[in-house]
Amino acid sequence: MSATDVNQPRETISRGPEVSKIPPWAWDAWRLVSSVAVTLIGLLALTFFIGRMLPIDPVIAIVGEQADASTYDMVYKQLGLDKPLYVQFWFFISDMMRGEFGNALFTGNKVSADLLRVFPATIELATIAITIGVCLGVPIGVLAAVYRGSPIDHITRILGLLGYSVPTFWLGLMGLVLFYAALGWVGGPGRLDVFYIDIVDRVTGLLLIDSIIAGEWEVLRNAVSHIVLPASILSFNAIAFISRLTRSFMLAQLSQEYILAARVKGLSKWKVIRKHAFRNIAVQLLTIIALAYGILLEGAVVTETVFAWPGFGRYLVSGLLAGDMNAVLACVLIVGIIFVSINLICDLLYRILDPRTK
Amino acid sequence: MRRLLAPSLILAATLAAASAQAATPKDALVMAWNLDALISLDPAQIAEVNGNDIMINVCNRLVQPNIKDVARIEPQLAESWSSSEDGLTLTFKMRKDIKFPSGKPATAQDAAWSLKRALHLNFGNAANLREWGFSAEKADQQIIAVDDHTLQLKLDRPYPTGLLLSSVFSSNVASVLNKETGEKNAKTVDGKNDHGNAWFKTQSDCVGPYRLRTWNANDVVILEANDTYFGKKPGLRRVLIRHIPESAAERLALEKGDVDVARLLNSDDLKGLEANKDVHIEQTLMHGYTYLAFNASDPILSNPKVRLAFRYLIDYEALGKTIMAYRGAPRASLVPIGAFGALDEKAGLPFKLDVEMAKRLLVLAGYPNGFQRKLILSANTPNPDLAQHVQANATRAGLKIELEQMADANLFTKMRGREFEVGLIGWGAGYPDAHSMISRHAINPDNRAEAKLAQYPSWRSAWADDKINKMAEAAMMERDPAKRIAAYKEIQENMLANGPMAYMFQTIRPIAIRKEVKNFAIGPFKVDYASATK
Repeated sequence: MSATDVNQPRETISRGPEVSKIPPWAWDAWRLVSSVAVTLIGLLALTFFIGRMLPIDPVIAIVGEQADASTYDMVYKQLGLDKPLYVQFWFFISDMMRGEFGNALFTGNKVSADLLRVFPATIELATIAITIGVCLGVPIGVLAAVYRGSPIDHITRILGLLGYSVPTFWLGLMGLVLFYAALGWVGGPGRLDVFYIDIVDRVTGLLLIDSIIAGEWEVLRNAVSHIVLPASILSFNAIAFISRLTRSFMLAQLSQEYILAARVKGLSKWKVIRKHAFRNIAVQLLTIIALAYGILLEGAVVTETVFAWPGFGRYLVSGLLAGDMNAVLACVLIVGIIFVSINLICDLLYRILDPRTK
Repeated sequence: MRRLLAPSLILAATLAAASAQAATPKDALVMAWNLDALISLDPAQIAEVNGNDIMINVCNRLVQPNIKDVARIEPQLAESWSSSEDGLTLTFKMRKDIKFPSGKPATAQDAAWSLKRALHLNFGNAANLREWGFSAEKADQQIIAVDDHTLQLKLDRPYPTGLLLSSVFSSNVASVLNKETGEKNAKTVDGKNDHGNAWFKTQSDCVGPYRLRTWNANDVVILEANDTYFGKKPGLRRVLIRHIPESAAERLALEKGDVDVARLLNSDDLKGLEANKDVHIEQTLMHGYTYLAFNASDPILSNPKVRLAFRYLIDYEALGKTIMAYRGAPRASLVPIGAFGALDEKAGLPFKLDVEMAKRLLVLAGYPNGFQRKLILSANTPNPDLAQHVQANATRAGLKIELEQMADANLFTKMRGREFEVGLIGWGAGYPDAHSMISRHAINPDNRAEAKLAQYPSWRSAWADDKINKMAEAAMMERDPAKRIAAYKEIQENMLANGPMAYMFQTIRPIAIRKEVKNFAIGPFKVDYASATK
């Protein structure tokens, strides 16, 4: 593609001379912003209307099953449930534009305050899990591809199958039984032992980082002992996912002629794999890692329940069960933003990593 | 998943027993519980179990039920009370040595402000005051602090004193909060004074053995001994309540010794703990029920004989030992054991499984060939097992019962809207007096559909009986305790034969406690954290 091609706006003719004065980057930015906004609003609208159709009564969740009709009606009005659906949706969207998510009915706090509390817990867990997932999953996948059909490959396959099929609930409990109850190598449920709670001031909400900032090494050690097990359990699935896909991406590359050509030129096997094959799968690999990270950031309800981890997944599900649309919509928005951002970051990284986009 | 669970737990128990024991601090009580439902710690607002359980240990009320013999009311912040000759004035004498944690004396002014505040805030708990004629509009005339130590209440009718003490003045709304703190932190929300609600939601300033130190939602609640408390010092200085929302994980932490007390264990885990010598399980008979409700607007179910037949289709004893172990004790009368005016254990359960008897009753009712009806229920354990039991026995009696499981919220909506034929559901009584159940399950002030009295299960069942309404009203106003007990006996006997519900089990609350914790006093309306020692 030549330089002139890039500078020649393809749509000049259809848009007319005036519009063409808008620089192409602004046009791109506008398209990006509008598509993100439409995606997010569409997502919210869908969630909102499905939520309202569910046979869950948020009023009973607040006033209790034994409440009288006047109390019920009062809360019903307070929640604006007497207004038409589109009005309720409009209120929600306009509040949100002001950065106001309203109160979460099932915790009694502002949704924004709740999210600041639960999201860091999940970020911490997800980040460690994905790090383990990548550090183990990618090398295992590469090895399995290079030694295709060997015992390493078979072990990888079994590991992958287990990662996909063993229920997290069971794995989590067994992990607790073995490493916490029997061996005492790791901490039990929760982010800290009870005696360490509230020692460290909250700065980022990420306990590992906050305890380092405060220089509380005992707390840090305790926090690490508590996060190791749930993060490992979570990463198990990520390892399975990443290693399987790495293997198949790698196999696709290894069968290409350029690999043979490089080997014929006399390059060593590992150099070819590292410099040629791996570089070519980097982009695809990045996509699936980003996706896996996104999924982890959505929170893992089961893991969070077994390990009493006060995270995002449990918050979202509790909100859903209580029919608490303020909390649910805010969570959906966050999940939407996570995935949109992941897409954007991936796009950006493609341009850096993929030589063809340069 | 369940199939995998059992062997893994056996392994857990073996391994846990073999491992070195961790220990909780000597001066703290560490409790594991599911704190999901905890929304507010404001006594005027608390509407769920967690908040109630915690705050009863933080905020004393004017009077309190004896921890075990709950029908007996004892002084707490009020040292004595008296009722006027005409029964229209109730006067409390407050203790002179009560102080808030800051050291400021607590007075009748604070008590009056707290009661009025509950009315003005008008959360669900305010209904507890409104029911006895108190209202936000008349609050200033009805609730009067005569001096710092005298609180006077003007009543609209001469209710029996014992009933008022039990229903209102030992409940959340009678917690004495610091007026100064409340007024200082009052905010205007939606144009209305919140009387410090936003502040009291997450903090405490009242008179009690503990004060609230920390509450991190869905994580932990920490209480600390209140050094200015007038009463006995708590046995343990701190109480840490850990949010562990999963039974098996709680059990592991308990057996390992990382928690002293586990509050959320399911029957499987409780049975598993029976073998553990380091733990004992304290079972408390609560004032709540699991029952079948019948919709009396249904042409068949409106027949009392049909409803009576169902009472003979339940194997109370066998279920109590199996499905309902650690969950409920057999009882068919609507007033729970322990409440003022309750029938004794034997008279409260005149039925047993008797399919032949049920068949005879169905013949007498005019349905020798049976009929078909739908039973709706919550999908949570143990409800499906219970419903299948009823279904199986009904089949033996020639009835066809179709089961429909649903989410709790959905079930409540259907029951409150009279959209059911038979429903399996639960209920908790608010206070230890027969009137608590009878006022909701037997009395029905207006049976018309448009009355929408969804807080009355009797109305939900479209069942009303003028005679019962009159009897219950007379019992409520009877100032002679012995006569009141006799009146409640009669109502209960009547309801056993004719009522719209088949009560099956009185709720049990199991609490697993490690052996290091001693003297822990637990009653149906209070788990007394301050009593525990190590």
